[in-house]
Amino acid sequence: MPRFTDEELKEKVQNGFIVESEDEMTESYKKALITQLTVQGDTELMSAPSYFGPAKDAPSTNTMVSSMAIIQDELGHANIAYRLLEDLGVSRHYLMYEREPHQFKHPYGFDQYLDNWAELVVANGLFDRAGITLLGDVHRNTSYGPLKRALVKVGLEENFHLRHGEVWMRRLCESGGEARDKVQRGVSWMFPMGVEWFGMPDDKKRHSAQLDFRLKGMTNDELRQTWLNAVVPLCEEIGIEIPAHWDEEAGRAVVDYEFPVNYDEEEKVWLLDEPISWEQAFDRWKRRGPANVDYVESVRKGRFQLDEMLSKQ
Amino acid sequence: MAERVYIVLARKNREDPLHHIGSVHASDPELARVYAWKTYDEERWFEMVVAPRDAFHPVNRAEAPFDIRPETPEPTA
Repeated sequence: MPRFTDEELKEKVQNGFIVESEDEMTESYKKALITQLTVQGDTELMSAPSYFGPAKDAPSTNTMVSSMAIIQDELGHANIAYRLLEDLGVSRHYLMYEREPHQFKHPYGFDQYLDNWAELVVANGLFDRAGITLLGDVHRNTSYGPLKRALVKVGLEENFHLRHGEVWMRRLCESGGEARDKVQRGVSWMFPMGVEWFGMPDDKKRHSAQLDFRLKGMTNDELRQTWLNAVVPLCEEIGIEIPAHWDEEAGRAVVDYEFPVNYDEEEKVWLLDEPISWEQAFDRWKRRGPANVDYVESVRKGRFQLDEMLSKQ
Repeated sequence: MAERVYIVLARKNREDPLHHIGSVHASDPELARVYAWKTYDEERWFEMVVAPRDAFHPVNRAEAPFDIRPETPEPTA
């Protein structure tokens, strides 16, 4: 028998109660937490193969070491999220090795190939910023004690990734020419992906169990606005064009198109004048992007090779 | 070999208390040491130790909120 009803637990966590173990949860709380941790772990995991491709083209040994450190961090963060899931009865083996690639729950942004070093640093600047925005809010507000503790490490390291991204975006833009053009091309396809990252606007979203159970503190729109308020001034400062601007009067960043919109996966171009419904955007996410199968296979390959090697002994 | 959960404890400085910073899953203490050191590398730790979770005994409550279940239950998808 659960110790509390949903309503009792919602009231307790809104008043600051911290859940420490499974027998203090209700089924609905546990379900919402499992969903949140799965998205978190899958996002961290899939960022690793995404960053690994262009990291091999790093412009110097030092920068390659930094990129590899970032990839190792991301794998560590995935491991921590899966470790927490394991304590909730979800098999780590199932999460890592038994799901179909399209069943992973990371955002569509990590289903894309990053074509060069510039795109890697833009991903660090824009996608890791999205990660910090989401996880920073969870860290401050979550009612689940083990996750709150785990996020101390994650927060420290994600800030390093973000700094790496922003410093390199500035550096490439200052050097101009082809380097700057590549940053622009990367931002042009990644910025609208970041806008979508936070999901449905509040006025369209059905009731959120994650908010009721205090598994996070901010709504989708609040999180998106926090991300925009950081990313838009950065792009304006380094002279990168984006379909958004800083509104002085409102004191916040404003998106200049009606999202979500259609995306041409092959050309990596957003069709900003072709609005679609959120259902159509979800369908695109669920179909998964061009790198999905490749990335999932690449994080599993080592384990399968090891199994094969051991079976021959 | 059967895998166990190991609790990871660490401190940054000599005078600090050991903090419970996380856990790892490993088939033996040697691997647990490696996983802990490689996973929780966010600080320059003065000291880090690992112990199997089932080595902890609750003292003041039968069902401690700190998760010290004797065995990891058979996981399900």
